[in-house]
Amino acid sequence: MSPTDPHSHSLVIASDYRVPDPARVWPLLQRRRSALAEIGAHHVLVYTSTHDYGRVLVTIGVRSREPIVELLRSRVFFDWFDAVGVEDIPAVFAGEIVERFGSVPPSARKVPGVIVSAIASVDDVDTLSAEIRSASSRFDAAGIRETRLFRAFDDGHEVMIMQELDDENRARDWIEHPDTAAPWIAGAGKGAYPPVFVGKFFDMMRIED
Amino acid sequence: MFVCLCNGITSQVVAEVIADGASTTNEISKACGAGAECGRCRRTLRLLLGGSGGDRSGVRG
Repeated sequence: MSPTDPHSHSLVIASDYRVPDPARVWPLLQRRRSALAEIGAHHVLVYTSTHDYGRVLVTIGVRSREPIVELLRSRVFFDWFDAVGVEDIPAVFAGEIVERFGSVPPSARKVPGVIVSAIASVDDVDTLSAEIRSASSRFDAAGIRETRLFRAFDDGHEVMIMQELDDENRARDWIEHPDTAAPWIAGAGKGAYPPVFVGKFFDMMRIED
Repeated sequence: MFVCLCNGITSQVVAEVIADGASTTNEISKACGAGAECGRCRRTLRLLLGGSGGDRSGVRG
C-alpha cells in the first residue's frame, strides 16, 4: 500500500478489472487528472496483479458532496473504461474506511510488500473489526504488515479488505490457509465480487484541490 | 457493489430481483433497470444469475 493513508475520511471507489495493456493504465489516468479533480478525486492508486496479466485494481479517494449514484454516473468513469479498452464494465465498490490495523509503521517498511485485496459480504462489520483486532498477533506472524477494512455505502454487510504482506509466498500462504478472523477470503469471488486480488502497488496520483 | 453505473443499481438489488424470479438479463432490466441503458454491465448480471450474489452463507464476520 502507499506510505500514507490516502483514503482516510473520504469516499473510496474501487474497481478490479482486466485491461488489454496494463502499461497504458497509468499514463491514461494521468491525462485525466483534471477530470478526476472535477469529481473531487484526491488520490488515485493503481495496483497490478502479480500473476494475472492484465488485471488491475484501481482505488480512488473522493471528497464529494454529490450522491454516490450521481458520481458513478459521471462520464469520467465511462470515458475511463473506454480509454483503457474495457468493454464490460465491472461492478464497483463504493465505501469508506472503517479501521486500519497494523503493527509495522509505513516508514519502517523498506521493501514494498504484496497486496491482497478482497470484497465480500460478512455478518457484522463491527464484529469483524473486533476479531481482526484480537487476531493481531496471528496476523503479524502471517507476515501481514497492514490490514485496511472498508465498509460499503450501499450494503452494510459488504466489506473490502486490503492487506499488505511481506512477500508473494506469504500472500499465497495467507490465501490458501486464511485465519479464522479472515472470512472475507472465502467470501471473495461470489456473485459480483471479484476473486481475491494479489498484486503490487504500482503508483499513486495525488490530486490537489 | 454498484453493478449498473447508468442507473446506480447495486448487486443487492439485482440479487433481490433474481430471488423474486428474474432469470435472464432482460428480466433483471425490466424489474430494476440494471443493464437497461448502455448494457455494459450485463456480463456482471450474468455472473449474478449464475452465482450466489448476495448469499452470505458460510461467510461470518
